[in-house]
Amino acid sequence: MFRFIGRRLVACVVLVVVIAGITFLLAFSGTGNVARNLLGESATPDQLAAKNAELGLDKPLLAQLGTWAEHALHGDLGISWFTNEPVAQAIANRLPVTLSMVVLAVALTALISVGLGVAAAVRGGWLDRVIQVLSVAGFALPNFWVALVLVVFFSVTLGVLPATGYVRLSESPGSWAAALVLPVASLVIGSTASAAQQVRGAVIDVLRQDFVRTLRARGISPRSVLFRHALRNAASPALTVLSLQFIALLGGAVVIEKVFAIPGLGTLTINAALQGDVPVLMGVVVTLVVLVVIVNLVIDVISGWVNPKVRVQ
Amino acid sequence: MLIRRCSALLAAAALVVGAGACSGAGASQSASKTLTIAAVLDNNSFDPTQLNIGNQMQYWSPVFDTLLTRDKDNKLQPWLATSWKYDAKRTTLNLELKSGVKFTDGTPFDATVVKDNLTNLAAGTGQNSYMSRSIATYQIVSPTELNLKLKAPDPGLVDYLASVGGVMASPKSLKSPTVATVPVGSGPYELDKTGTVAGSTYTYKRNPGYWNTAAFPYDKIVIKPMTDLTARLNAIKSGQVNGTLTDTNSLADAQRSGLTANTTPVNWNGLLLMDRDGKLVPALKDLRVRKAINYAFDREAILKNVSHGQGALTTQIFNAAGDGYDQALDSTYNYDPAKAKQLLAEAGYADGFAITMPESPGFAQYNAIIEQQLGAIGIKVKWVKVPANAVIPEILSGKYPVAFMTLGSQSAWQDIQKAVTRKSPWNPLKAGDPQLDKLLATAQNAPEAQLPAAMKAVSKWLVDNAWFDPWYRENSVYLSDARTAVAMQAYNVAPSINSFSPKE
Repeated sequence: MFRFIGRRLVACVVLVVVIAGITFLLAFSGTGNVARNLLGESATPDQLAAKNAELGLDKPLLAQLGTWAEHALHGDLGISWFTNEPVAQAIANRLPVTLSMVVLAVALTALISVGLGVAAAVRGGWLDRVIQVLSVAGFALPNFWVALVLVVFFSVTLGVLPATGYVRLSESPGSWAAALVLPVASLVIGSTASAAQQVRGAVIDVLRQDFVRTLRARGISPRSVLFRHALRNAASPALTVLSLQFIALLGGAVVIEKVFAIPGLGTLTINAALQGDVPVLMGVVVTLVVLVVIVNLVIDVISGWVNPKVRVQ
Repeated sequence: MLIRRCSALLAAAALVVGAGACSGAGASQSASKTLTIAAVLDNNSFDPTQLNIGNQMQYWSPVFDTLLTRDKDNKLQPWLATSWKYDAKRTTLNLELKSGVKFTDGTPFDATVVKDNLTNLAAGTGQNSYMSRSIATYQIVSPTELNLKLKAPDPGLVDYLASVGGVMASPKSLKSPTVATVPVGSGPYELDKTGTVAGSTYTYKRNPGYWNTAAFPYDKIVIKPMTDLTARLNAIKSGQVNGTLTDTNSLADAQRSGLTANTTPVNWNGLLLMDRDGKLVPALKDLRVRKAINYAFDREAILKNVSHGQGALTTQIFNAAGDGYDQALDSTYNYDPAKAKQLLAEAGYADGFAITMPESPGFAQYNAIIEQQLGAIGIKVKWVKVPANAVIPEILSGKYPVAFMTLGSQSAWQDIQKAVTRKSPWNPLKAGDPQLDKLLATAQNAPEAQLPAAMKAVSKWLVDNAWFDPWYRENSVYLSDARTAVAMQAYNVAPSINSFSPKE
């Protein structure tokens, strides 16, 4: 098990380094206008040159990458070029916001999709068909459109939930939860639709296998067959789907944060990308990659623990 | 069992949500003396050398006093400076200062502080450093009086003193490592660090020692940066904020929702005809060609269909509230494609010619119109795609003969510095004309009483010589809810904090 985790960790580090390098090169290829955007239209060529020197943009690209990597390894992700906020602080402020939303969405997705997927697989018939139709509909609806519909109905028309913003959990747990209801619901509708189908398929596959027939022949109760044996075997693909959902939800959160004006990593990323704020962009990308890598690692470990065959693979 | 547990969890979640809903939505309504607004941009900095006008003004106007201010009629009024007066040559500006004012760190405001702030701004690298760069030396007469000795007359200086140029911060804070995040001003409010999260919420509480509390009716100001227009509209419609900026496309929807639209024309939309000397496209050196371009656009239809009628037709670049505006000029070039073609033929371009223009995603709605209306008189447009955040640097680079732009307009002299002189950034090909130089010199040195006439003469020359092709002044639209009154400012897209007041 330790060797398995070790191999995964090495792969993770390589992934982070490669993605950081590629992002850096892509991001810096478009920084030609940063000094002008920062100093405004009346800046003289001398002022522009001084600004470029101050930001280190006058050095060769690889030297800039080396400097950034050296600082990043010491925990210094630099300072935003446009808001003067330390990047690490900006991420620390916004990461809990995005994580609150995504973790809640993943948890609810797991809960609802397992419930619906198992019900559809076991009961079959009209229930299965209804769940499948709802799943397809949920999958087809873009989450930003769902978000807008929810805002118009619950916030603007009924006035029962906030249309925008985020309240820290430490400030007011009730307001925190209220602020997250609509964004999380917008994310969950699409992700549940997709995950429920996967769970349904996995459970049906397992229920058709020989060992299940044997268990049933031995007189084990259907509930025990389902929850103790079938679900355990179906857990591996389901966990993989959920880890993919986590990554997809991080991506979806970018749009949802924008619609709900939630000050999370998504909003930070969009603003940094639009302005060409490379230090912020780099910090966010590295943070997100590390986050995704950790989630994958955890899922791999859980899968390996639940199903030893995965470790051998 | 599992289903039962799930139900219990969902029920618990619903309870929490229900509790939160009561405290979440409409929180801003609980305190009538709280103003909550959604801003278009995040705050860039509280460092006085980095302050900007436009949307950024809302962040710093609660904490910093300025030397002068503007009233609702756009007239300059005393603030920290109680009076101002030029000498006959207009190269020395005398300022009398208010006494007894203190910054929030206890430092008293006096003439030395004014000098410290103005020199600090001029030495800085911010967008508005130019606002105090015309000052050569400072003569401190007393703690409440000083003379600003100018290198040359600067008709824009007093305007700047009511803006970023006049911002006064505690001199102790100017070199502080926290200058960008911890503002130390003498303004009506202080930034409340505990209620402030960068990028999310900026909270301001009253400055208990403020000298003019009565002018600021709110006890608390909350500014929430929301870059997305839909989010801002949803926030104001659902009662989460009292005011926000919108665009003309969403105006009708906002008004149906019972919101008040407060408008002011700050920007002019149209073409910058930058290649007046024909360096890139020889045809543009010919006045008849530039006039033809002015006649080519159906301004009225564009204003009606693109900006939903929110604005006023114009052919001049100066702000209608400023010295240089001359209403008589606004009908100089009425839509007349036949006349445009005739002018092109007279200039020897009956078969037309081609120009290259930057194509910005931010101005996508205008590109097809430009292509069609110029095409109708024989001018073919070749587009070069430019990312939205590179549009201004690209235009200022001097690579293009013509570009569409929405350009902010303030006082006439400010606009002249921005786009008319040989050194102006928005004159990237450095075009010039001896006659225009004379008019500019006359305006620069004109006594106060003759200043409006001198500025109008500049505007007339610019229109007669078709240096630009303005179509219309577009309204900046600021929405407010039923509890909030807003007085728009002529020179700024977003109102500053003293422009808001609760409705009785």
